[in-house]
Amino acid sequence: MRIGIPRALLYYQYLSLWKTFFQEMGCEVVLSSQTNKAILSGGTSRVVAETCLPVKAYCGHVIDLKGKCDFIFIPSLTRTEKNATNCSKFIALPDMVKAVVPQCPPLLEIDIDVNKGKRELYEQIYGLGRHFTWNPLKVKNAFVKAWKAHKDYTNLLSARRLGIPQVLPEIEKSCLQAEQNPAQGEQQVTSGRQDAGCVAATDSGSARGSLAIGLIGHPYMLYDDFINHRLRERLEKLGAVLRTPEMVSREDTQKAIVKLVGKSYWGYEDEIVGAGGHYLDSQVDGVIAAVAFGCGPDSLMIDLVARYAREKARKPFLNLTFDEHTGEAGILTRLEAFTDMLKRRKSALSPPVRNDGLAS
Amino acid sequence: MKLTFPHMGNIYVPMRAILSELDIDHVIPPPITARTLSLGVKYSPEGICIPFKITLGCFIEALESGADALLQAGGMGTCRLGRYAMSQEQVLKQLGYKFEMIILGVHNEADNKLVGLAKIIKKVSGGAPWSKIISAIGFGLLKQEMLDGIEKKVQKMRPVEAGRGSVEKLYRQAVKAIDEAGDTKSVKRAKQEYMERLDSVPVTPGADPLIVGVTGEFYVVLDPFCNMDMEIELGKLGAEVRRYTWVSSWTQFRSFLNPFRKEPKEPIRRAAYPYLRRDIGGDGWESVGEKVLHSKDYDGIVHLLPFTCLPEIIAQNIMPSTKEDIPVLSITCDEQMGKAGMLTRLEAFTDLLKRRRRERRKVAGADGNISGH
Repeated sequence: MRIGIPRALLYYQYLSLWKTFFQEMGCEVVLSSQTNKAILSGGTSRVVAETCLPVKAYCGHVIDLKGKCDFIFIPSLTRTEKNATNCSKFIALPDMVKAVVPQCPPLLEIDIDVNKGKRELYEQIYGLGRHFTWNPLKVKNAFVKAWKAHKDYTNLLSARRLGIPQVLPEIEKSCLQAEQNPAQGEQQVTSGRQDAGCVAATDSGSARGSLAIGLIGHPYMLYDDFINHRLRERLEKLGAVLRTPEMVSREDTQKAIVKLVGKSYWGYEDEIVGAGGHYLDSQVDGVIAAVAFGCGPDSLMIDLVARYAREKARKPFLNLTFDEHTGEAGILTRLEAFTDMLKRRKSALSPPVRNDGLAS
Repeated sequence: MKLTFPHMGNIYVPMRAILSELDIDHVIPPPITARTLSLGVKYSPEGICIPFKITLGCFIEALESGADALLQAGGMGTCRLGRYAMSQEQVLKQLGYKFEMIILGVHNEADNKLVGLAKIIKKVSGGAPWSKIISAIGFGLLKQEMLDGIEKKVQKMRPVEAGRGSVEKLYRQAVKAIDEAGDTKSVKRAKQEYMERLDSVPVTPGADPLIVGVTGEFYVVLDPFCNMDMEIELGKLGAEVRRYTWVSSWTQFRSFLNPFRKEPKEPIRRAAYPYLRRDIGGDGWESVGEKVLHSKDYDGIVHLLPFTCLPEIIAQNIMPSTKEDIPVLSITCDEQMGKAGMLTRLEAFTDLLKRRRRERRKVAGADGNISGH
C-alpha cells in the first residue's frame, strides 16, 4: 500500500516519525514534489483568498499526490503539548482538505490532543494502525520505533546544531518521490552543497567578520524555498551565517518562553517566541522572522518578539511577511538594506559605542 | 479600584446592573466611535482581528476616564481571544497606564464561565456575601434575557413595519428603560410595556419577509458597530434576521445547575459533523453547523467574520462543499470596511434571495398542479 505525505506544513518536523511508522506497517511512503508554481497555484485556486500561504501550498501538495498513492496521511494536531493549542488550520486540516479537494484519495486521519490523556492517544494510534493490521502489538512496536526515530531526529538537530535541510534529505531517501523534473533536482543538490558550506562557516563565521543572523519562523516557512523565495540562499549570499529555531535546545527555548510570555499558549510557540527570545539575547547580530500573511498565532507572537527586540534586547529585527505574490525584488531590497545596516552597526559597535534603534 | 470592561453590543446593561447592585466602583467606556477604533488600530499588532482592536480602544478610552481595573475575556481556547488579555496588558503598560488586568475564563474546558465571573466579582467587591453576589448576577442576567427577548421581537418587526424607523426608536427606548430599571419588577414591567408597544406598531399588510440567518464570530455578530448595523440594514431590505448567537445563550444560568454539562449548541455541532468533525475554536464549528441545520428554513445566511479570523476561515472554506444548499454571503469585517460596499453586497444578496424564493415557489406550484391532475 502506498501512503502519500504532502511535503508541506508539519512534514518538516514529523517526517521521520510518520515515515518510520508507515514503513514498519509494511507500506510505502510517497512524498509529493517540491513546492513549485503549479502546486501553489493549484492550491490557491481551491481555497478562499484569506487562507494563509502554507495551507494553500498544502492543498496543492495534496492535489499533486492525486493518483500517486492509495491513501493520503493528514493528521489533525490539536495539542502536542499540554495546554498549548494549535492553530485551527492544523486542527481542521483533514476536514478542510476533504472540502476543498473532493477528488483526493481517501484520507488516513489521526487526532492528537494530549490534553485528552494517554489512553485517548493510544487509541488514536491504534486506530491508525488498524488500517494495516489487527495486531495491537505490531502497531505498538511500529510506534515505539517511529517515536525513537523522531527523537533521534530532533536530538540530531538541536545537539549538533544542524538545520533541517541537512538532515531531512537523508530521511527522504527511503521514501518514494513523486515525479520531479531533473532541473529541480539539480538545483536541490547545489543548495545542499551551499548548506554544507554554511555549517563549516558556523563556527568560524563571526571571526571572518560575516554576520550571524537568527532566522525564526515555522519550518514550513523557512525551508520551503519556493514559498519564501529562496530566503536562506539569498541571506547566505549576502554573507550571513544563519541560526535557525531547531538549533536551539529545548531548555533554551523554554527559558526564553518563560522570559517573554510565561507559558506557551500556542503549539509550536518555541519556534518563534522561544527561538526569537533566545537569539535576541545571544550573540547574533540581528534576527529575521519569516511569517505567512494572515497567520493568526504569529500575529501575536511576532508582535511580542518585536516588542522585546525594540525595548529590552535592543537588537535589529526584521519581519518579512510572505504571500503568494511572486515579486522577489521587494524581498531582496529589504534583505540587502537589513544586512547593510547590520554590517554598519557591527563596525560602529566594535568600539564600545552604542548606536541602536535603526531597525524596526 | 475602578472596574471597566469592553463594549460588546448591549452587554454594558447587565454589567452595569451587576456592578451597581454590589456598589462596585466602575466606569462604562464611552460608546464605540471612530475614535475608539482608530486608537485600537494604532496600538494593535498588525495582523490581529478587529475585536482585539475595538476592545483595546475601549480600554484606552476607559482608562482616560479614570478606570484602573480592566475585565477582559481570556482563558484557554483555540482562538486568539485567549491571548487578548496578555497582549493588551503589554500594549497598555507600554503606553504608561497603571491598572490591573482581570481575566475572565470563557472557554468551556477552563473555569466554568459563570463561576469564574462570580469569583471575580467576589474579589473586586471586596468580599461581598455570596447571597448578594448571586442575586446581583441573577438580576444582571435577567436584564440580559429581557433585552434579548426584545431584540428578537425587533428582528421580526423591522422588515414588516409600515413606516420606517419607529421600531428602531422603540428598541432604543426599551434598552434605555431596561438599563434604568432598578429592580426585578420594573425590569419585567418595562419589557412587557415595550413588547406591547412593538406589537402595536403598524404593519405593512401582506408583508412576506425573507428569512436570513446571521452567523459567524461572536463579537462581530453581536456588536453593531463592528458589523455596521447590518441587522438594521437587512431589516430595511425586507429580511427578518434570525440568529443563534446571543449573550443570554452564552451565560445560560442553567449551566450552574447542569450536572451533565449539556451543551446547548450540541444540535448545531451534530449537524456540522459530516463536514467538520473537530472543535476548531471560536465559532467556526457553529457557522458550518448553522448552514447545514437551517438550509431548509432560512432563505439565506450572512456569515460575518473578522479579517484573519482562524476558525471562520476554515468555516468559510468548508461551507461551499456541503450537500445542503443555501446561499451564503461571507462578509469580512475590519477597520477598512466601508458601509456603502456592505450595503451593495446586502442589496445584491437579498435580490438574489427574493428571486430564488420566487423560482422555488413557481416550481412548487407547478409540481402541485401536476400532482393535482
